[in-house]
Amino acid sequence: MDGMSPGDGGGRIGLAHGNGGRLTRELVEAVFAAGLGGLLVDHRADAVAVPWHGEEGELVLTTDAFTVQPLEFPGGDIGALAVHGTVNDLAVAGATPRYLTLDVLIEEGLELDRLRRIVASLARAAREAGVRVAAGDTKVVRRGEGGGLYLAATGVGVRPRSVALGLERIRAGDRVLVSGPVGDHGVAVMLAREDFGLRGDLASDCASVLPLTLAVRDREGLRFLRDPTRGGLATVCHEIAAATGLTVRLDEAAIPLRDPVRGVCEMLGYDPLYLACEGRVVAVAAPGAAEEVLAAWRALPQGGAAAVIGTVTERQGAPVVLDTALGGERALEELEDDPLPRIC
Amino acid sequence: MRAGAAAAPVPVRARRWVLEGRVQGVGFRPFVHRLAARHGLAGWVQNRLGRVVVHAEGPPAALARFGEALVREAPPLACPRIAESAEVPPRGMAGFRILASASDGEARVHLPPDRSVCEACLCELEDPRDRRHRYPFVNCTQCGPRYTIIESLPYDRARTSMARFALCADCAREYADPGDRRFHAEPLACPRCGPRLRWRGAGGAAEGEGALAAALECLRGGGIVAVRGVGGYHLLCDARSDAAVARLRARKRRPAKPLAVLFPDLAVVRRVARLDAAAAEALADPARPIVLVPLRQDAGLAAGIAPGLGEVGALLPYSPLHHLLARGFGAPLVATSGNVSGDPVVTDPDEAEALLGAVADGFLHHDRPIVRPADDPVLRPIAGAPRPLRLGRGTAPLELELPRALPEPVLATGGHMKATIALAWERRAVVSPHVGDLEAPRARALFERLAADLQRLYGVRARRLLHDAHPDYFTTRWARAAGLPARAVQHHRAHASALAAEHPDVERWLVLAWDGVGYGDDGTLWGGEAFLGRPGAWRRVASLRPFRLPGGLRAAREPWRSALGVLWEAGLERPVPGAPADVGLLRAAWARGRNAPLTSAAGRLFDAAAALTGLCAAASYEGEGPMRLEAAAARAAGTPAEPPALAWRPGRDGILRLDWAPLLPALADGGRAPEARAAAFHEALARAVAALAARMAREAPGLTVGLCGGVFQNRLLAERCLALLAGRGIGVRLPLRVPGNDGGLAFGQVAEALHAWTA
Repeated sequence: MDGMSPGDGGGRIGLAHGNGGRLTRELVEAVFAAGLGGLLVDHRADAVAVPWHGEEGELVLTTDAFTVQPLEFPGGDIGALAVHGTVNDLAVAGATPRYLTLDVLIEEGLELDRLRRIVASLARAAREAGVRVAAGDTKVVRRGEGGGLYLAATGVGVRPRSVALGLERIRAGDRVLVSGPVGDHGVAVMLAREDFGLRGDLASDCASVLPLTLAVRDREGLRFLRDPTRGGLATVCHEIAAATGLTVRLDEAAIPLRDPVRGVCEMLGYDPLYLACEGRVVAVAAPGAAEEVLAAWRALPQGGAAAVIGTVTERQGAPVVLDTALGGERALEELEDDPLPRIC
Repeated sequence: MRAGAAAAPVPVRARRWVLEGRVQGVGFRPFVHRLAARHGLAGWVQNRLGRVVVHAEGPPAALARFGEALVREAPPLACPRIAESAEVPPRGMAGFRILASASDGEARVHLPPDRSVCEACLCELEDPRDRRHRYPFVNCTQCGPRYTIIESLPYDRARTSMARFALCADCAREYADPGDRRFHAEPLACPRCGPRLRWRGAGGAAEGEGALAAALECLRGGGIVAVRGVGGYHLLCDARSDAAVARLRARKRRPAKPLAVLFPDLAVVRRVARLDAAAAEALADPARPIVLVPLRQDAGLAAGIAPGLGEVGALLPYSPLHHLLARGFGAPLVATSGNVSGDPVVTDPDEAEALLGAVADGFLHHDRPIVRPADDPVLRPIAGAPRPLRLGRGTAPLELELPRALPEPVLATGGHMKATIALAWERRAVVSPHVGDLEAPRARALFERLAADLQRLYGVRARRLLHDAHPDYFTTRWARAAGLPARAVQHHRAHASALAAEHPDVERWLVLAWDGVGYGDDGTLWGGEAFLGRPGAWRRVASLRPFRLPGGLRAAREPWRSALGVLWEAGLERPVPGAPADVGLLRAAWARGRNAPLTSAAGRLFDAAAALTGLCAAASYEGEGPMRLEAAAARAAGTPAEPPALAWRPGRDGILRLDWAPLLPALADGGRAPEARAAAFHEALARAVAALAARMAREAPGLTVGLCGGVFQNRLLAERCLALLAGRGIGVRLPLRVPGNDGGLAFGQVAEALHAWTA
């Protein structure tokens, strides 16, 4: 597409792609409208009206920005991540995602082929999750002022009034579940970012969790759903403990962890409980409902390794406690930006 | 009316004394009562918030003799000091009385530590005619539990966990009889009215003598018994049985950490270990600590007691119950803390059965509640004196005097591992028993409880808090969240100040604070530091050449990481025994500084040496690598070690850096025995310490060298440094009563901050 690469030779984004003129229009038409196909509601309008009927439930909104490096990593890329991240936030709120808006900040010099791949991946993810892109915007920043590509998305979903989830519903005695192995995304992205050499057995779990949440969101006794993204499982547990004043007690031996993830974490000294997941759900359920949630998840392809991993108790010593595989107890701290060894 | 005009009237005078020091819980008031009776004096004695007030009246000569005897003849456990003495008007009193304790006014409280059973009570324990024959809770004013049963002060039975046991007529008579050695013995008890043993386990349930018999039978059969002692539960098993020890290790998931051994008496210890005078004396101390003593070749103990080490932690019976058990069994018994690894010792029967149910075959409980736990204290004889490694039952709360008064009361929260708490006010500092490792929630809960308890018991409310500089220590966060002014004290300066405060006669120090890791001023992990100066004015003059720890936190338990860290830093490629085959990923992360913090810690250098010599690649307990390394070096004793020379070179910041790189080729030389390599390593570091001291002494003549931090619990290293420095005419000081490891940090924080505040 020669018209897409003014003076840049190899099909890269130039500053002029962001000037609002012909090149911008061509970029939107040729890359975004074409790539998203029918998913894009109307690429010409500044604002669109979407149908919504109050009787379907409450409107649920979320917004998120995506700055992952590298832009493409084993198991996903920033495009899929933007959709999944936004969709998942709606899904764990008990909503069915309907629309996204999409803001695109491109750094001068980004290869157009790369951009097309990412948009295609984004479209695939959106189609899978059943969401359409209602509005969008594209800007170009100068070389060196951005990490290749940043995305920001706002999600709109609808939650049936029958769904009743929230931190305030959690009680001592409730069970904690996770829908699958933890830490995959964090390890895959870290290895890709540091260029530590790719390993075939390590890939991000980046996926829509909508099937998981739809399977359980109406169940009586389900208290709370959350996707353990930044800060991982331990951080979700801290959110629960902080909001409720209770203790979340995890059973280390019960937490699903894939061997390659365990191996990398042990080698590099990282704790997988603090590493991000992008396709998992943590659930808190009343004791009587936990087995039902577990069975519903295990029946899904994404939930085969789901497990009950802990219990909510009255506050005991620390907000989040790990019963270690060796029979001891360890307090799990809140995530530090650069944890320094305490023990020696 | 005149009567007896010829007889000169005997003048009656009265005096009042205020005594402080250790005067509560040690039979001091009964002693005063007997003393007054002997001198024919009337009056009273009263506990007043930690001090004892004596009012006596009678003939002046008798009063004078009485006054002298108050201190000179005081009971063995008492340590009175006359704070005030004044003549007062006589009241015309008849008889001498012990008044009820007063609990108003300002506190001069002393919380007495627990005491091992005294000779007199032991005689009764063994006397078939005595009503306390074989009674496991016999005690008197001179012995028995104190700290672990006291709920509040002043120390009276009603404020102890003995309050629930109503005295029988015989005990009540002893308690009230000034001539009896149990006069006002607060934990007084007998088989009729006092606590009882209870057995739960194999063979069902039993009480009293039957419970003891069941426990002994279980032990003889190779079983593991959880026994409720003074400050918590012990796990006991036959120390000669490989199978029993292996079972205990497997069930407790404690593969190699050394186990303490309870011996019936000193003679049996001598059969197993080589005792010098200092060790024998330490074992017999009234606190009955665990003392690390060198094992004989043919000791006859199970090999699994202390794998890879040349010493055993020996302990003599301290409570009557332990006497009955140890003598009944007649042979050494493993006596390890009844806890889950890193947790405080378990004190409550229900908790014990819940937490130790999978470990013990039976439980020997009793029904005297333990108000707060106290683990066994641990000492290691180094350079002719026992050095505390852990404060506990009998040695804590440890009372220390500060060189000058604090402007306001302060609570020092200590470190993160081997935690203790120090409460200090005026010129007093009190250090708590060992709390545990604060990764564990139970240890955190105990920490919080003790912090409140100490302030309540001593009637002192801290106005400021002290904490370590590490931002992520539990104690740091706790202190910062507590709502009081909080101040950070750097880890190794706290170590140095703790040592310095124990030796107030020293004016000019060179302190080497070598340990695992502690947070340094520059945000890196220090641990090989040398300071010149004095508390409040330490100047960091030397350290180790820093290196990166691949994998951060995991290096604490995986010495092979430290080995790779020093090799990579030095640009060497050598195989490290026990390291994973493929470390490419780790190397890449290390090269990018990912989770590879910089450290100058000597403890990690010892880890590296333990791994390079093949002695310890992965540690199952803290310090395993250095301990195995020291034991190996000790086995090579006598063979000359020809160590490489190490140099101290000034860095850009002017701080001398010890370059350890010349050690590496010899450490990794598989052609030499690990023992010889370990010995050369120790010798090289001792010589480096001596060289540094000599160099500093030129700059600061007359300096004294202090050795502290966990690394100098290494007896071989410390004694070798001492010998080399003695040869250069430089004096060396080691910890006396405060542990040189992180258990001494809380006190060190007080000592350091004191000078910063009052300088």
